[in-house]
Amino acid sequence: MGNISEPKGWNPYLAGALTGLLLILSVWAAGKYFGASTTFVRGAGFVEQTFSQERVATMEYFKKEMPKIDWQWMFVVGIFFGSVIAAGTSKSFRWQGVPAMWENRFGPNKAKRAAAAFLGGTIAMFGARLADG
Amino acid sequence: MNDLIYGLVTGAIFGFLLQKARVIRYDKQIAALRLMDMTIVKFMFTTVLVAMVGVYLLKDLELVKLSIKTTILGGNIIGGLIFGIGWALLGYCPGTSLGALGEGRYDSIWGIIGMLTGAALFAELFPLMKRTVLTWGNFGKITIPGILGINHWIVIIVMVILGVLMFRFFEKKGL
Repeated sequence: MGNISEPKGWNPYLAGALTGLLLILSVWAAGKYFGASTTFVRGAGFVEQTFSQERVATMEYFKKEMPKIDWQWMFVVGIFFGSVIAAGTSKSFRWQGVPAMWENRFGPNKAKRAAAAFLGGTIAMFGARLADG
Repeated sequence: MNDLIYGLVTGAIFGFLLQKARVIRYDKQIAALRLMDMTIVKFMFTTVLVAMVGVYLLKDLELVKLSIKTTILGGNIIGGLIFGIGWALLGYCPGTSLGALGEGRYDSIWGIIGMLTGAALFAELFPLMKRTVLTWGNFGKITIPGILGINHWIVIIVMVILGVLMFRFFEKKGL
């Protein structure tokens, strides 16, 4: 799809297998399984705390998943930096606000894409938390 | 403190591998949902198979503990369906949205703000969900070998065979 100048990515089976080994090591060395969505709950808690500390302290779900920086929080931050390094060293970094496949179907309007991404994110995270995933 | 460093380093290697395999971008994620390009399924399922073998091996050697989530059919099924709708609109996963930003796909910022909003919304509705959806079909911490009452390695071998057959199918169809 579309990107002519960009070098081909790694074989997905190889990268997937290496990720599997990484997970095994993580469970062994740190006792941690991979996850990301709890971090969004803690993040939302941090944001809400700046408005009302007392309210967050009384909410059942934030008592369960307290706003704090933990292993998973740093794991999610790490994903960002790992991607920056990989993209920067492979000429595949692209500052782009509308993905190609989206543009082909819905046009180049950035606001439209932003609205769908926001709404999609809201729905996806609600579902992920309901499923405890 | 150690935990935080482990988290950052593990995340960075994970993000590096995700980006190198080109699986974090919108076009790849949506192409998988449209059954046009199975790259992310190959990546994910290989990870699952390798990790399944390794983690169970370490568990049998009593070096690690499993982390089994509670099976609640109401939450798992309804939550899964809702997640799917949102994922198809957003085109990024919760974890990979940060990786997408890392490779410059800045529409993911709106997704990240949306996901924080979704988490906040869920926190508001959690007491209601706990009384309703999250009481429907609660089976506790179950596993497949547990329900079937068989050795976990039988399940693992079957899963590996099914995985390899699926990969062969993808390659044959050029997906």
